Amino acid sequence: MDNGAHPVARAATGDPMPAHAGTGPPAGIEPTAALGARAGIGLRAQHHLKVLSDAPAVGWFEAHTENYFADGGAHVEALGRIRANFPLSLHGVGLSLGSTDPLDTLHLERIRRAVNRFEPALLSEHLSWSSVGGRFANDLLPLPYTEEALRHVSSRIAQAQDFLGRRILIENVSSYLLFECSRMPEWVFLGAVAAESGCGILLDLNNIYVAARNFGFDAQRYLDAVDPGAVREIHLAGHSAVEFEGQELLIDTHGTPVCDAVWNLYRAALRRFGDVPTLIEWDTDIPALEVLAAEAAKADALRAEVHALAA
Amino acid sequence: MPSLRELQSGVMRALLDGEPDGALPLIAARGIAPKHRLDVYANNARANFIESLISSYPAVRRLVGEDYFRQCARGFHTRHPSLSGDLQSAGAGFAKHLSELHGDDEFRYLSEVARLEWLVEESLLAADHGPLDLAKLQQVPAAGYDDLRFCLHPSARLFASKYPCVAIWEANVGSDAEPELIDLGAGPDRALLVRNRGRLNCHRLSCGEERFLESVQAGETFAAAVERGAARNEDDTAADAAACPFDAAAALQRFVLAGVIVDVR
Repeated sequence: MDNGAHPVARAATGDPMPAHAGTGPPAGIEPTAALGARAGIGLRAQHHLKVLSDAPAVGWFEAHTENYFADGGAHVEALGRIRANFPLSLHGVGLSLGSTDPLDTLHLERIRRAVNRFEPALLSEHLSWSSVGGRFANDLLPLPYTEEALRHVSSRIAQAQDFLGRRILIENVSSYLLFECSRMPEWVFLGAVAAESGCGILLDLNNIYVAARNFGFDAQRYLDAVDPGAVREIHLAGHSAVEFEGQELLIDTHGTPVCDAVWNLYRAALRRFGDVPTLIEWDTDIPALEVLAAEAAKADALRAEVHALAA
Repeated sequence: MPSLRELQSGVMRALLDGEPDGALPLIAARGIAPKHRLDVYANNARANFIESLISSYPAVRRLVGEDYFRQCARGFHTRHPSLSGDLQSAGAGFAKHLSELHGDDEFRYLSEVARLEWLVEESLLAADHGPLDLAKLQQVPAAGYDDLRFCLHPSARLFASKYPCVAIWEANVGSDAEPELIDLGAGPDRALLVRNRGRLNCHRLSCGEERFLESVQAGETFAAAVERGAARNEDDTAADAAACPFDAAAALQRFVLAGVIVDVR
């Protein structure tokens, strides 16, 4: 496959850094302020200044934790100022919780520093691995769904929670391959990990949809198997498709609007999981802030619609 | 059944070393060959790594063009894959990689420009610090100045190169205009990068100022730093000597006002 033409999944790279002056006011929003009232959007560095000047009509922001690991500088300062006006979630992409390497305590220490600095309402990581033998692919690689992997990743999540002194949420990832040795479906694995480690679940509906299409299962079946009490956040995003020998494979690019099928899944998720904080993710080919705010407004409208029906 | 460790090692060899034989039998085909499925991840790993270099080295990329930059980045990724969950650090050794590729040819300045761009990255991400509290300095009697140790801003980075790499860098960032032609023989460049009020500043230095700041950064006393600034090196050219009259009071004032010297002990 040609690298240049291939859709690229999200990465924990630094974004171009806008320079600006001044220091922000102290954080004015309580860390525990509810994220629930309105949908949030993923925060990208190119939107920092616009978020600060326009105060867009979105409920909250989610930032990739690694993008704010720096000791100081414009990114860190901007997030501090944004945090003063909006609730925040920190979402890590690099901890490699499923890896069989020793847990990276330096990385954890940096997460802890970011948590102390920005006081996020939610803190999340992924049900995946990205490194072994000290080498990193810096991608969210799927685990085999085995008893060994279940015990391993659950104990690592528990270790991370002990280190950070708080519960974290774990997100289901998109996957493009299944291991022959898997002994249970992903939804059973995810539920067991949450039960064993005590973590919450960040349910990414686009990732469920991508995996369902790639592996031929019913996405609704996945939703029906997840414990409603464990789901603390929902992600919505877009994806792309590639073809191999006439066979379609969906890729989680986070570079397009949320598709209709995923909006339908969102309706079903709202009915099953209740009014869970919802985030619009968009990490490649990032559009104007208004486009993201419009996607968030669409999520809010669906929540109101489902609630009205439930009332 | 492979252990989790064996499975992960096999997959990582497929992704980073292009050796998929250990991983292929572990993956269910389900209509798409396991090789293609692994390629999706291998391409993501490489693309994410290259994106990180693109973000760190805009001037090098502009100097060599998109295609050759990606070729260099791919070669660098193969030899020096990421060792961190934070891709920010992935580009640390790229200047050395470029010097191995172009140590002796007409592109030998490239690795110097890359080294400067990495210092820019470091400077942008360094800790914040306010300006020097002048009251602290006023409390010191004139006779006590010699023993003072000044501290540079955490974002301060000294750079020196044989070629005019600061000029090359400045001409290749921040503007899409066709850069001016720069004479590689125009002599050495010396500069100090420092962040001030959120903005990165690049101060050109005389060789005296450079030696003075090196001494301060090494934690030496003001007297030692002044001596270093005023000293001539054997390998200084006549032009260096002529261009480097060192005025300690002027240097101190310049670097305090520019937010380079931010504390004193």
